Amino acid sequence: MIYLDSISKNYNLGGKQMKVLNSVHLQIKQGEFAVIMGPSGSGKSTLMNILGCLDRPTSGDYWLNNKVVSSYEEKELANVRNRSFGFVFQQFHLLPRLTAFQNVALPMIYAGLPKDERSKRAIAALKKVGLADHINYFPNELSGGQKQRVAIARSIVNQPQIILADEPTGSLDTTTSRQIMDLFSMLHGEGTTIILVTHEMWISKYADKKIFVRDGIVTGSEYKGEIST
Amino acid sequence: MSIFENIKMALSSIFTHKLRSSLTIIGIIIGVGSVIAVVAVGKSGEAMLKSQFVGEKNTIELYYNPSEEELQANPNSLLEASFTFQDIRTIENISEVQRIVASSSERTKVSYKGKSTNGLITGVSDIYMEVNQLKVSSGRMLLSRDFFAGNRTAVVSESFRDELFDNDEMMGKIIYIESQPVEIVGVLKEEKNIFAFDSNAIYLPLKTWQSIFSSTAISEISIQAETPENLRLAGEKATNILNRIHNKEDAYQVMNMEEIADGVAKVTNIMTIIIGSIAGISLFVGGIGVMNIMLVSVTERTREIGIRMSLGATREQILTQFLIESIVLTLFGGLIGILFGTGGAMIFSYVAGWPSLISLPVIIGGILFSMLIGTIFGIMPARKAARMDPIQALGYG
Repeated sequence: MIYLDSISKNYNLGGKQMKVLNSVHLQIKQGEFAVIMGPSGSGKSTLMNILGCLDRPTSGDYWLNNKVVSSYEEKELANVRNRSFGFVFQQFHLLPRLTAFQNVALPMIYAGLPKDERSKRAIAALKKVGLADHINYFPNELSGGQKQRVAIARSIVNQPQIILADEPTGSLDTTTSRQIMDLFSMLHGEGTTIILVTHEMWISKYADKKIFVRDGIVTGSEYKGEIST
Repeated sequence: MSIFENIKMALSSIFTHKLRSSLTIIGIIIGVGSVIAVVAVGKSGEAMLKSQFVGEKNTIELYYNPSEEELQANPNSLLEASFTFQDIRTIENISEVQRIVASSSERTKVSYKGKSTNGLITGVSDIYMEVNQLKVSSGRMLLSRDFFAGNRTAVVSESFRDELFDNDEMMGKIIYIESQPVEIVGVLKEEKNIFAFDSNAIYLPLKTWQSIFSSTAISEISIQAETPENLRLAGEKATNILNRIHNKEDAYQVMNMEEIADGVAKVTNIMTIIIGSIAGISLFVGGIGVMNIMLVSVTERTREIGIRMSLGATREQILTQFLIESIVLTLFGGLIGILFGTGGAMIFSYVAGWPSLISLPVIIGGILFSMLIGTIFGIMPARKAARMDPIQALGYG
């Protein structure tokens, strides 16, 4: 489903080209739970942004469902972000002026869904993450774990193929982190592909596949049990 | 994403920063408010003048204006009787003419029990009082039997009470005009009118007037028509006929409304230019203020923009969101401005005694104009928001 063909990303820093990703090859299959691991500055966030169509590679092709999305125009990319991906961030990234319900409904507004449908799906998604009784809470009235649950509800509401989570437990305590990871596990069990960036080892035990990134290169990937390089 | 969603979002963001939003739109309020007020005051001034000259009853005055040669040949021709009863009957036959008001005036001595003063004695036809909106404060109006029989009855102004009657009751008293007795049957209500003159006025039936002054003269004729357009036609036809009957060239004329209106328009235009430029400057400065605040808002909401983009908002949708926000903001300014402007204009016309005229086109114009300001000054901040890089907006990189 996802195939990165020698993806490179350069940043221009004060006239100096900095290679953040250097000819990355990567394949993620439908229904996989993949974690991308690596120290900070390894390029894993950039990899994540390119996977989520938030950023474009400097060179190389990004194949998504047999289409080269790296050559898509802005508008098509927005559409891909809206329908194919659900994003979960370390800092939750909820809009503070909107209630949990409104935050969850936002991607459906951009998808152009009618109001009734939005409302039905938003409530269903909030129920699924266990926040049925917090529908009309504002983000500042919720705990960190609850905020992340709202963010997860928001990420699944357009029924995307893939959920991209960037350090989703990075701001949470261990117990809450486990609950959040269980939620991802559940979504994975329902067939959603999950790609999760982390630097915490214990999280990798949830994954089918581990991808190690260091200095802009994929140094190895590992399927449950077996190691390949 | 529908316009409705955008407006809802804009409202929520505007109401989040109530103080900031209201300070921002002050310039727009002043600008739109003064435009509305100027136009409304101008219009009601115009209407007031029109009602003074044409009257609410759609009347126009015919007058006799002899040529230079005629004046030289007969210096008294200006003072002589201009119209006859025959003229009135002829003009009455013009289809556009609804009614005719005729009158003659003479300034002369009025006396009561050895006291005397000067007064303007006006002989009037039956509808004169109604058309000129004269009313009595006590006693009665002149009635048709007075006009028909040429009764020696008169309606007089309040000023005589002091001058002839030692502030005593004057109803029913007999006064003498040109040594001829006339009974006072009514006292005129004081007029609140910019053309009201504080003189001693006496109104009596035209027939009575003609008998007192031994004259068949009618010095003024006004004609009344159903509509202003008919009035213009009637005036044209009447003057043509009169000039033909009396064998004159352009001696009979109608009061030229357009000339008067032009004079007024000049004054109004100067006022409009002055206040218009104040409004223009304040709208421009207000617009800059809106732009400034929108830029601040875009910068503050960088992360929100990033989040929205990650959720699938296109650049157009971000642009629309911020553009609608600035339009809604200036629209608020416009609406409040309209409120202040119409309020101010209404107070002004109430104090000045002018008819208050709030025109719908002006209000709609004000609304559209304030939205235009929002569009013009909102486009730059909105573009700034739409051009953001989602990664940087989210706080990466």
